[in-house]
Amino acid sequence: MDAALIVYALNLSAIYALMAIGISLLWSSIGMLNMAHGATFAVAGYGTLVIGNAVLPGIDSLFHGWAALGVIRLAVLLAAGVGVGALFGLVIYLLAFLPIHDKANFAVRGMIVTLAINLATVQTLLWWFGPRQQALPSVFGFGRLTLLGIPVRYDQAATIGATAVLLGVALAWLRYSRKGLEIRAMMQNPEGAALSGISVRRTALPVMAVTGAMAGAAAVLLSQTVYVSPGAGAMPLIKGMIIALLGGLGSVPGAAVAALLIGTLEAVTGVIPFLGQRMVLLVQFGFIILVLIVRPRGISGLLDETRK
Amino acid sequence: MTDPIAPVFHRVGNRRHEYVLVPDGKRDWHRGRVPGLSRHWLMWRGGYNPKTLQRERRMADKRPLWWFLGLGALACAAPLLPDTLLQVAVVFCVFAAINVIWTLIIGAAGILSLATMAVVGLSAYAAAATNVFLGVPWPLMFLVGALVGLVVGGLLALPSTRIDGLYYALLTIGVAEICRVSISQIRALAPQNSSINNVGSFIPQDWYLQRPGLLLSFASAFVLLLAALFLFRTINSERLGLQLQAAREDEDFAEATGIDYRRARLNVFLISSAALGFVGAYYAMLYRSISLNVFSLDQLLLMFAMIVIGGMGRAEGAVIGTAIVVVIDRALIDLGPLRIILIAAVMIAVTLTTHAGLADVRTQFRGWRNRIKSERRAARTRKGGEVMPEEATEISDKQEIAYRRFDRRLRDRLKALITPDLLEEHKAAPLGPHSDALARVLNYFRRGEMPDKYAILQDGPPEAWTYTVMALSGEPGKPPRVVDDRVYQTRDEAYHAVFLLRVNDLLES
Repeated sequence: MDAALIVYALNLSAIYALMAIGISLLWSSIGMLNMAHGATFAVAGYGTLVIGNAVLPGIDSLFHGWAALGVIRLAVLLAAGVGVGALFGLVIYLLAFLPIHDKANFAVRGMIVTLAINLATVQTLLWWFGPRQQALPSVFGFGRLTLLGIPVRYDQAATIGATAVLLGVALAWLRYSRKGLEIRAMMQNPEGAALSGISVRRTALPVMAVTGAMAGAAAVLLSQTVYVSPGAGAMPLIKGMIIALLGGLGSVPGAAVAALLIGTLEAVTGVIPFLGQRMVLLVQFGFIILVLIVRPRGISGLLDETRK
Repeated sequence: MTDPIAPVFHRVGNRRHEYVLVPDGKRDWHRGRVPGLSRHWLMWRGGYNPKTLQRERRMADKRPLWWFLGLGALACAAPLLPDTLLQVAVVFCVFAAINVIWTLIIGAAGILSLATMAVVGLSAYAAAATNVFLGVPWPLMFLVGALVGLVVGGLLALPSTRIDGLYYALLTIGVAEICRVSISQIRALAPQNSSINNVGSFIPQDWYLQRPGLLLSFASAFVLLLAALFLFRTINSERLGLQLQAAREDEDFAEATGIDYRRARLNVFLISSAALGFVGAYYAMLYRSISLNVFSLDQLLLMFAMIVIGGMGRAEGAVIGTAIVVVIDRALIDLGPLRIILIAAVMIAVTLTTHAGLADVRTQFRGWRNRIKSERRAARTRKGGEVMPEEATEISDKQEIAYRRFDRRLRDRLKALITPDLLEEHKAAPLGPHSDALARVLNYFRRGEMPDKYAILQDGPPEAWTYTVMALSGEPGKPPRVVDDRVYQTRDEAYHAVFLLRVNDLLES
């Protein structure tokens, strides 16, 4: 396995991790499978496109000639994606969580409502922006740098770096802040948390916003290599979902490990001659089904038992 | 005189309004049975009207009636429809058939599988390929489709026993995508954009897309829908379905009574998959071609929207949901992408407001109405001696109820007559003559019940009689009790004191 492959695997893993951890976090904290995560991804992509096209020329003229221009551009785009993603998370919260979170059959009904939101959003995007794929303003061009003797494309480096930073911030926020404490309490025991005065509604709102922001960040980072299109969210949603499953729904470390596994698997499958890029999905599915047959609740799916 | 108070009549103990047949009581009742089974065709129940004792017969389960009316209307209307709408009707029938079979998997077997379209698509491809490339005649395509469906179903069923509900559902979403990618890699199909065309069909080549061809496709699709409903009925309401119902209610208990529910689930899944394969072969023949669109995620989501809107787990839900979605999607084609948004909006509205889809709305409405009713009943505290509706059923002498209601209204009127002038009038002349109002009040007091009726006790030496007020016990042998320790010097004062006590009681009641 050569070094470029490792970088490629890490790159894929980073984006998958952003999606999968969002899905996993939502499931464990409020018990909702967010099928509109792909829609958040697509909306954030288009939001970034619109904002980027409006703002970036100004940024360019303002910081013309600066060495850090690339980083500033990336920061602006990331902020746009994160903001739009968080806003869309808020919309999902208002539509799919608030009205039914205390009603019967919430898990299935929440899944259906978010699925409908996904459907409606993709069609709205299609209607508004047309089916044409559009490229996000590129940040880095196609240069390479060499890290520890490994050639890394700029966008790959930025994706891996930005994901590490974002995930670190999110996990630290979960670990050390007051709100994070409340969220973790709700994950462990929703009823106990409610009894000690933690409002499910107030806690669900930041979780929704944060997971939406993660999807937004993933959209911006992935859009450096892939175009923005209305249906762009479907693949990340499916991948994120199966990774969340593989890691065990509800386990953040499990999702991270699973993302790493799947990313690597995808990169490796791509270069094996008789499998190739087209068999990636099949190999991934086979792997996941195998793991789930051995461990029906995923790699570290212990929490699911308590939620049940 | 004051205005009369409008009486409030609560309806007590009335029977639910329902159409009943009045059979001839002199003749025997023959109920037909389904040949070969002990089952009756319809669920008739006999009984008597408790009031008139007239013999009556009612249909306890009216669903067959609605099915007959709905499907009959469709069958009658279709030949009159223009070509475009006829095609919509064909699509409705095919999708409704698929959804009814899918409902069998989700509802009866309880396996939340989203791989339906994958099974349909794979069988369609296999059947079409055998016809086009191997020259198999079209009637055998059904067999090929069903076999492929069975095999694919078997493969899909393998992990379903091990992986539980939600995990399985999410995994199966991806199956269609895998199929799409795999078929798009087949080199032989690449020149035709991975579709198979010119598939043999039950529709003759020169009828295709012509009026007779469309009518033939509608007729076949309608028969397909009937067959799917028949399959649903035979599985869901017969032995397999009953076993699975027992398992849904309590798995451990079902197992303890000797039901192998895992096996039953697997059987239903396999049968349904074979049926889906059959539909797949039909699908390829209907359009004389099959393309990768069958596997698209959007198509799957639309199908899911159909069964969600109608209500998961019920055949009528699948058909109603299919009707709504197909009409929005195919008949309102001018709306463009708005139609999908409309469907999503309907889906969200239905999911947020109903517990189990539109098919269950009636039960939900009844539950809601009963809740409101009982809340109202609980909130009704102003009893005033009248009988509450729920007590009324326990009082056998219904005159009692009518009397209490009359008494309550009478008291309400008399209360309005009590004025300071009236009290003054009685004080001036307790024994009359009285005005009309006072006479009415006194008449009411005079026919009061014996328990707690007031009496005057005359006491002391004859030249200095004193009077006190007491209340009779109303029971023989039990002495009256003293009401208060006031002593009155004249008999008229005592009369008036009793009057005031009774007025007080009246106003407090």
